[in-house]
Amino acid sequence: MHASDLASSASLVDRQTSALAAARLIAARSLPGLVVMDDSGAPVAVVSAVDVLGLLVPGYILDDMALAGVFDEQGSEDVWSHAADRTIGELLDDDDVHVYALLTVEANASLVEIAAQMAHSRAQIALVKSRGGGEPAFVTLPAVMDAILRFCGDVAGTDV
Amino acid sequence: MSVQIVLALVVFVAAYVFIATEKISRVTVALVGAALMVVIGATDDHGIFFSEDSGIDWNVIFLLLGMMIIVGILKQSGVFEFLAIWAAKRARGRPFVIMVMLVVITAVLSAFLDNVTTVLLIAPVTLLICERLAAPAIPFLIAEVMSSNIGGTATLIGDPPNIIIASRAGLTFNDFVVNLAPLIAILLVVFIGLCWLMFRKSLKYNAERVKRVMALNEREAIRDVPLLVKSLVVLGLVLAGFILHSLIGLEPAIVALLGAGLLALVTRLEPRKIFGDVEWETLLFFAGLFIMVGSLVNLGVIEALGTAATQAVGDNYFGAAAGLLFGSAIFSGIVDNIPFVATLAPLTNDLVQAGGAAAHPLWWALALGADLGGNATAIGASANVVAIGIAKRNGQPISFWTFTKYGLIVTAVTVTLSLPYLWLRYFM
Repeated sequence: MHASDLASSASLVDRQTSALAAARLIAARSLPGLVVMDDSGAPVAVVSAVDVLGLLVPGYILDDMALAGVFDEQGSEDVWSHAADRTIGELLDDDDVHVYALLTVEANASLVEIAAQMAHSRAQIALVKSRGGGEPAFVTLPAVMDAILRFCGDVAGTDV
Repeated sequence: MSVQIVLALVVFVAAYVFIATEKISRVTVALVGAALMVVIGATDDHGIFFSEDSGIDWNVIFLLLGMMIIVGILKQSGVFEFLAIWAAKRARGRPFVIMVMLVVITAVLSAFLDNVTTVLLIAPVTLLICERLAAPAIPFLIAEVMSSNIGGTATLIGDPPNIIIASRAGLTFNDFVVNLAPLIAILLVVFIGLCWLMFRKSLKYNAERVKRVMALNEREAIRDVPLLVKSLVVLGLVLAGFILHSLIGLEPAIVALLGAGLLALVTRLEPRKIFGDVEWETLLFFAGLFIMVGSLVNLGVIEALGTAATQAVGDNYFGAAAGLLFGSAIFSGIVDNIPFVATLAPLTNDLVQAGGAAAHPLWWALALGADLGGNATAIGASANVVAIGIAKRNGQPISFWTFTKYGLIVTAVTVTLSLPYLWLRYFM
């Protein structure tokens, strides 16, 4: 099994994408992260889903976790109102957020190569290098996990 | 002047410039400067580790370490957030009353905690309250960080320059409380008046939003009641130890370390929670500074400056106090007040040794100038930089000049008012 067999399209965002739009993409497709494009539309980085979650939570609560419990039900609803104003660009500019450079794997990379590279780079998504143009294709962490488990099942004949 | 002295002065001045410009991390500058002093031969291992006059001031290092551990544990209890929300609710959502209560809470906390920690604790809850009120947070944050710098002046442990001064001058916790706290109380009242003049136009009462503040449940901020009780008991014991220093004969550093050890023992927290808030870089920065200043002491530079200063001052100690007060305030507004006080402390010591009791108020002039001067600009104190960073992260950017235009007013008023206090109390 090679990278090209596992490849699929991915949801792309840019600096101007709002936190709410990013959250919708993640929630709708259970994504582990989002690929960020540069100004020219080329995929360059990956932000993790949990960092997008951090954009939804007001910064003062992340600065002081004791404040998370002080809201009543009405107040809890108000907390999310600011999220529409926040953008993916804030994550890219935040020194405290680890934005991963986009990992690239060869189209003919084996499952072992892909898994090793993703684990080593702590990447949830990798770009599959293509020779021609066209829409970029990606390998995601769930797809790699799924392939490993299927392979383990074929060899060992057991389920986890 | 020997080549060795010239080289040592070049290293010292260069280190100061690098620290002031912040092009390189200040701890790196201090340690490299200290290393160069050793290479020059201005100090040696014995001088660095064992000399009381020219070595690392272990009293300062371990007092800071002990207090960092205690405060790091105490802040996990949520008591500061509880206090701030409680105050906002007692104020019934009236913005200026909330500002006054937060200013007073911040000033009192700052007298017992370091200013950066106080701002880290009070700024997030302020942003929460302002968001609930739909009020601009910037006036509140500026007022709090300034009250933190003012309140920290009142005690030996309130601001790092005071710790250095206390150690070099042999001053006790009670000395600071008796000599500086009354003035700080007056300055705080004046500062509240300045807040009214500076910020009243941006503080609008919004009855509709008040209920959102009243709906906050401050009790939920207290995450660990047993931890809170243990922390407050130990902090109380540590403060009692500071106050009873002359009776029990324990140096503040020993009291703080005993308190930190006791708190670690009774809370049984994991090491990363006990030591997570220890600023090792700050402690190393202090060590590097002490080595650099100690090198100048070894080479006789400080003594020569002290002699020159003593001759220039003559017996006009009020003039010297005024010069030290305003000079320290101006300098501290531009560069970090810690290296400034580390350098000026041995020099002031020479002046006080020469002048005796009449010159003793120079210590208070140095402390007041260095501590209050931190309010002058956005980079005058570490707490200012931290507050501005928090504000920016939360979409409320405070520009350098926004802070500085208020800072210059507050510094001018507070430092100027300190002068008649010094005159009335010590020179009249």
